[in-house]
Amino acid sequence: MIGAGRLDATGAAYFDGDSPIGQPVGLRLSEDGQTLLIELADRVIAWQVTDVRSIDDFAGKGDSMLRMRRDPVARLFTPNPFVRRALPHLTRRAPPAGRGRLAMWAGAAVCAVFVQIAVLVPFLADQLADYIPLKGERALGDATFEQIKSALADNEYLPLQTCENAEGLAALTQMQNKLTASLELEQELRVFVLDHPMINAFALPGGYVVFFRGLIEAAQAPEEVAAVFGHEIGHVVSRDPTRHALRSAGSIGVLGLMFGDFAGGAVVLFLAERLIDAQYSQGAEAAADTFAYDVLHDAQIEPAALGDMFQRLKDEHGETEGIVAHFLSHPSLDARIQAARDASDRDTQVAPVLDAEAWAALQNICK
Amino acid sequence: MSAQIQGRYHGKGEPLFWLYIKTALLTMVKLGIYRFWAKTRIRKYIWSATSANEDSFEYTGTGLEKFLGFLVAIVILAIYLGIVQMVLFFAGLNLFMDPETASGADIVRQVAAIYITLFAVMPLLLFAQYRARRYKMARTRWRGIRFGMENAAWGYVWRAIGHYFLTLITLGILAPRASFYLEKYMTDRTWYGDARFEQDGKWTALYPAMKHLFIGAGFIIVGVALAALFEAIVAAILLSIVGYIWMIVGAVYYRVQAFNYLTAHKVLDDKIGFYSEVKTSTVIFTYIVGILIIGAVSSIAFTALFVVGFVGAFVTGMSFEASLSGSMVGAVALAIFGVVGYIAILLTLGALSLVIIVQPIIAHLVDGVQVHGAEHLDDITQRSADLGADAEGFADALDIGGAI
Ligand SMILES: [Zn+2]
Repeated sequence: MIGAGRLDATGAAYFDGDSPIGQPVGLRLSEDGQTLLIELADRVIAWQVTDVRSIDDFAGKGDSMLRMRRDPVARLFTPNPFVRRALPHLTRRAPPAGRGRLAMWAGAAVCAVFVQIAVLVPFLADQLADYIPLKGERALGDATFEQIKSALADNEYLPLQTCENAEGLAALTQMQNKLTASLELEQELRVFVLDHPMINAFALPGGYVVFFRGLIEAAQAPEEVAAVFGHEIGHVVSRDPTRHALRSAGSIGVLGLMFGDFAGGAVVLFLAERLIDAQYSQGAEAAADTFAYDVLHDAQIEPAALGDMFQRLKDEHGETEGIVAHFLSHPSLDARIQAARDASDRDTQVAPVLDAEAWAALQNICK
Repeated sequence: MSAQIQGRYHGKGEPLFWLYIKTALLTMVKLGIYRFWAKTRIRKYIWSATSANEDSFEYTGTGLEKFLGFLVAIVILAIYLGIVQMVLFFAGLNLFMDPETASGADIVRQVAAIYITLFAVMPLLLFAQYRARRYKMARTRWRGIRFGMENAAWGYVWRAIGHYFLTLITLGILAPRASFYLEKYMTDRTWYGDARFEQDGKWTALYPAMKHLFIGAGFIIVGVALAALFEAIVAAILLSIVGYIWMIVGAVYYRVQAFNYLTAHKVLDDKIGFYSEVKTSTVIFTYIVGILIIGAVSSIAFTALFVVGFVGAFVTGMSFEASLSGSMVGAVALAIFGVVGYIAILLTLGALSLVIIVQPIIAHLVDGVQVHGAEHLDDITQRSADLGADAEGFADALDIGGAI
């Protein structure tokens, strides 16, 4: 029977996985070619050819370390490259055990990260926002404002400019004074207009209220700007931006971990974008609206001005197009318009917020 | 069986180079997730190229397992680091410091915040260090028999914190004590099959290995003294530079000599001994030559990339401004060329550092190890498998895995 199916086993060794002794072997294929017979000194081990795999990424040319799918520890070493030819399934995939476990852990991890971002971070942020010192809040606002200015600039060496037309600023201050006359603000407001066509306005930690040129140009009456102004003051007063910044910082901590180096230096930039794009909670928006109605009422402005602004922007630009989320993509926009109209039902004594000259100056604040 | 076994490394540069390139490309295509599989495959190669008495080691870890471990670690780390970062944010606002307007107090606060962060992460780093070693041990086999380590990571964490604290307050004088006892802690919990390793020797025996560190420190101290007493600034600076370089080399010398000593005093199953003859000069030489080659290759490659890109821009008739504004098709093509070239260079450099620095040092290390009393190895039998769910996920998440 010499020769039939026999493979050269010079230098081959079998490790039974029980003791660290390489046993010399004879190697033979069964007559049907379906079984690899490993002949040891005292017994013969049969491996189904379809179950034999080789250890991949194995160093050493021609050498192979073979294993059998159903035996986790036994190994057969062979320096003879021809043995591989007799075993066509060596590089077939052997699906790993424990796919269910993978799915379970992956699911658990995704859930945990989600819970972290959606529940734990907001909770902690809300707690912290109430205790953060005003000075720290201001420093945060300063830094973020600078970031936003350079993030929105076309040229990285030339940050976006704030509009400094003296008459325009005077008109803006006049409006601010009217709106805040009846308020006792914890922190001084810092109001800026950015020379950028986006139709938007936002608040930042530390009393920042920032308009884009685009919004002032799109407004058809000073009351509309005033209405947005009131809304942003509402955010400042309830410290929504601070809360939001804290949330983002927490979320970035989590996300940065997942993607490792990918996040890196983009963190602050990302945070800045998130702040302009701020989607506060529906509750926060509604509260800012309500706050605005009161402010407008006290400043003798029809609260419906807020609704008018929304309505027109919606008609002109659609729900989202061209305008960053804060005002228009909010799902309850119609409700907010309605709420603004309802708020107008109380009898507000109406007086123009700016005269025609001041309004013109405000519209030209960036010129 | 012969009583003495020699370690031998027979890995080659070329297959490892292409394995690295291949797996790194797959990692990019699969958005970084493949990195666990990539590292596993590199390890499989290196382990299988390591042999003792002609029998090679086997790495049985899987990428899937590492990925799972990473997911587990993420869950825990995310919560922990999230909280730490929020608290820091609240206390120091260190992330949002504008360097141009920062006052001295701001900078002090920022530095403090960095140290607090490091300190908060430290226990996890140590935990990860132990778990990573345990995982690698549990997934290493030789002649079919598993290595393994006991589940004792937290014991390591608090011991390590204590030792490092002592080292810190004694200005490094007690560093040998820390390295010895921490290595002993891990070695005494390491098994090969049913046989346990043990770390013999004395921590004070590591002091000779410290000699170059002390000499380097001596230079710096003399330099500072010269500056303080005689205002000999130039001499002081020169001495400090010499001392600094001497200390860097001294640190490598210390690690190598400590490795030799600790290896030579390891005992397996009370009968089997080891010997190691790693040479500091070889390690440093390999490293410096490697760095020089990689430096040269990278400067040539990046220069070539820049020149080709610049010429390309010129030939397609674009001004530099046009390519800056990024509005033209040619500029886009050029940008793609730039990105692809850049990635190709980075990949090549990564593969080169693996092949001309890491692998030769491993080879030198393995080739210098001998096992005595190897006839007793035959009495050892298999240990049961260690199915830790977290693999070395913490080490992956904290990125302390090192080269391999
Ligand atoms: Zn709002």
